[in-house]
Amino acid sequence: MLFDSPVLHALILGLVICSALMGVTSYFIWFERRFAGRMQGRIGPEHVGFKGLLQPIADAFKLLIKEDITPRNADRVLFNLAPLLAVFVALLTLAVLPLASGLVIADLDVGVLFFLAAGAMTVVPTWMAGWGSNNKYALIGGMRAIAQSVAYGVPLVLAALVPVILAGSMNLSEIVAAQAGGHWFAFWPPGPGFLGGILFVLASLAEGNRIPFDIPEAESELVSGISTEYTGMKFGLFYLGEYVHSLVGAALFTTLFLGGFDGPGPDVLALQLFWFLLKTSVVSVLLLWVRWTYVRLRSDQLMTLCWKYLLPSGLGVVVLAAMWVWFSQEAPA
Amino acid sequence: MIGPDALLLARERFGLETPEHGPTIPRERLGEFARALFEAGYVYLVYVSAMHHPADKQGETERPARYTVVYRVRDLARGLEFPFRCEVPLGTSVPSLAAVWAGADWQERETFDLVGPVFEGHPDLRRIMLPEDWEGHPLHRDYAINTPHRPWR
Amino acid sequence: MNALALTPPIAPRANPYLDIESYEGQGDLMVLNMGPQHPSTHGVLRLKLWLDGEVVVKAVPYLGYLHRGVEKLLEKLTYVQSTPIVDKNDYVSSMTNELALVMAFEKLEGCEIPRRARYIRTICAEMQRVASHLLWLGTFALDMGGALGGGTTAFMYCLRERERILDLFEELSGARFHYHMMQVGGVRHDLPAGWDAHLKRVAADISARIPEYEHMLSENVIFRARTRGVGRIDKLLAQELGLSGPNIRACGIDHDLRRSQPYAAYDEIEVRPALATEGDVYARYQVRLAEMRESLRIALALIDGVPAGPIMGRKPIETVNAVKPPAGEAYVAIDSPRGELGAWVVSDGSTKPYRCKLRPPSYHALSALPYLLPGVTIPDVVVILGSLDPIMGEADR
Repeated sequence: MLFDSPVLHALILGLVICSALMGVTSYFIWFERRFAGRMQGRIGPEHVGFKGLLQPIADAFKLLIKEDITPRNADRVLFNLAPLLAVFVALLTLAVLPLASGLVIADLDVGVLFFLAAGAMTVVPTWMAGWGSNNKYALIGGMRAIAQSVAYGVPLVLAALVPVILAGSMNLSEIVAAQAGGHWFAFWPPGPGFLGGILFVLASLAEGNRIPFDIPEAESELVSGISTEYTGMKFGLFYLGEYVHSLVGAALFTTLFLGGFDGPGPDVLALQLFWFLLKTSVVSVLLLWVRWTYVRLRSDQLMTLCWKYLLPSGLGVVVLAAMWVWFSQEAPA
Repeated sequence: MIGPDALLLARERFGLETPEHGPTIPRERLGEFARALFEAGYVYLVYVSAMHHPADKQGETERPARYTVVYRVRDLARGLEFPFRCEVPLGTSVPSLAAVWAGADWQERETFDLVGPVFEGHPDLRRIMLPEDWEGHPLHRDYAINTPHRPWR
Repeated sequence: MNALALTPPIAPRANPYLDIESYEGQGDLMVLNMGPQHPSTHGVLRLKLWLDGEVVVKAVPYLGYLHRGVEKLLEKLTYVQSTPIVDKNDYVSSMTNELALVMAFEKLEGCEIPRRARYIRTICAEMQRVASHLLWLGTFALDMGGALGGGTTAFMYCLRERERILDLFEELSGARFHYHMMQVGGVRHDLPAGWDAHLKRVAADISARIPEYEHMLSENVIFRARTRGVGRIDKLLAQELGLSGPNIRACGIDHDLRRSQPYAAYDEIEVRPALATEGDVYARYQVRLAEMRESLRIALALIDGVPAGPIMGRKPIETVNAVKPPAGEAYVAIDSPRGELGAWVVSDGSTKPYRCKLRPPSYHALSALPYLLPGVTIPDVVVILGSLDPIMGEADR
């Protein structure tokens, strides 16, 4: 607790972490482009700076100098507010994420509830963009986004319940503490954690509109879906928000299922931070790999997957986790 | 291979001559001939097209400007082909065969658009390649390539 | 009645002229214009869709955005000057465009093509088929996966292989896209030294990579879910519309002009049919993959036996008025990667054609859209359109 004041602690740490995250996200985009390039038999950004490392800066500059167009009959408030909200909501989830022991912006006792609620809010800026653009493609994208977000919120909640049940608390720091010593929920207890982890990954891919669940911004059908009418930095904010959301999703998965900052070695802040970042990176790279390999699902197939497969699995996984806790707590009479 | 049953149909039932490029069906009997061909198994429509002949003189007779609408159909099961045609003077319509072969729909639209013959009974005879308000039919022999047409040229 | 037409139709035929005013939808109908500028309309095609939610009720395609008056231009230019013009119709497979037109001129003139030229034509046409199908596969995956995702990966792989074939053609004719290779009487360029070794290397590499694409796509659950059962074409409708090539072979109808009306060197080699039975998008995908394999096999089988001899069967063409066929008519059709590409040419005895009609397979494929699209959702519209493989340059001329 910095300066013994939760407000100051949150402000300073929040500022530092958010700024760091913005930088990390830009370079994550650089990494993705090189990674995707290698997967496709080409190089990726190479010329702007050494190995293309100045590419994100060049891209940000390019987006800043582009003309900012607002369609004539667009709903101005919704249209202009949507990109800001998109980034804001993505960053909000960071507030409860423990990066190392004690290094958390707001150590809420209802951390899981908070991040689920903040995550559910991502539908609002997407819908605002879809409606406010006054464009049929954006409208269809927005409608699809609502259906998808609402639908996949359910397996997300159910999957997030598994570590809550296994740890007995909604506080994310306590969930990490319950996984200390290598007993990561994804692998121990065998069964509910692993399945819950898979469900969580799928649901967070869908919440973040990533391929194979990216129907709201399906570029081949809907030109750019919800972000069709956005130009310049507003589009840049949507783009950034999407990547922030996916990085934060990977970080949450690490916290809930992969032990957070737990790792071999002494309990030093820097080492814990290193383990956390390493695990998050591995998960992010896996999600990138999925993105650049699969084609997207059709909208009705996506909804079928959620309601008919993920939801029953989610319920089953929660029951499994509860049974495990019950039987492991049953003391011999 | 030209279908012998179709040749027989043209010669006997319709009493037509069958030169190398197919019989010339009079326009009144075109629908009947097409339907007979379809029922005989020629369900594959290869193309419908036309050419324009300006008014000229053949020997002593003056021939008016006319269209020759050409058709070609196939029977894939037996590997047979059959071309036929219909000649009409400008201004006379040709019966549409869209009710017989579904593909004749778009083929006739393109032929009407570029060459000019009007197909009577077509469900939606609009221009397909050129803009809706274009005047003239470019594939007329006397339509110069640089004919001005505002605002397009 | 035609035996092929007797199989019962899959579903009642959609009405392309549905009266939209009297249609009772679940909500208000939305008119969506997938306009000429769209990432996935395979060129400049405008599709006006009436949507009930996400389901298409009526679809009206508008063509003509790439209409360049090719048929009129062919009447104004001489027979010799027409080859570079038709190159640009089906700009993805130029060799076959030229081949169809030049063969029609040769039929009018009645000239004999030497065996060497026929072999070269066949090899070029088959490698062109592979190149065209590779491009089709790449853009098809792109339609499904988007420009930022798995579709792009497949696209990059396919274009990389296509570049090898374009290098091959560049060595032969000097150009990567519009070759101007075929002439009345034969071919214009002879095979350079070492071309056969180059072709064998390219064909071997591509044959080794086709299983990779299959593995990436055919065995992908999402790809199968997107393509199976989608866009089924009824056999009778396919025949009435004049569909050809992979579109009709995927319905189970074995209509291949290389076998039924052999041209070039196809009478000297066996072309195995690539058929599928369902007639849906997945079937068309399988047929095109099989055709790629078959084309590579044909090219490899022919390259070793290319006979020595002249490449032109008539006097060399040195002036624009060198070709002057007698009056008459001819229709010649070849099997291009898209289907039956035909040329109906009428000659009046001068050095310019009297009427030159090109029968493009893409035009017929697009005419199937008003029948296929009603009842499918928007993502399927893009997938069905991609699977028909239309090229607007050819459809519009």
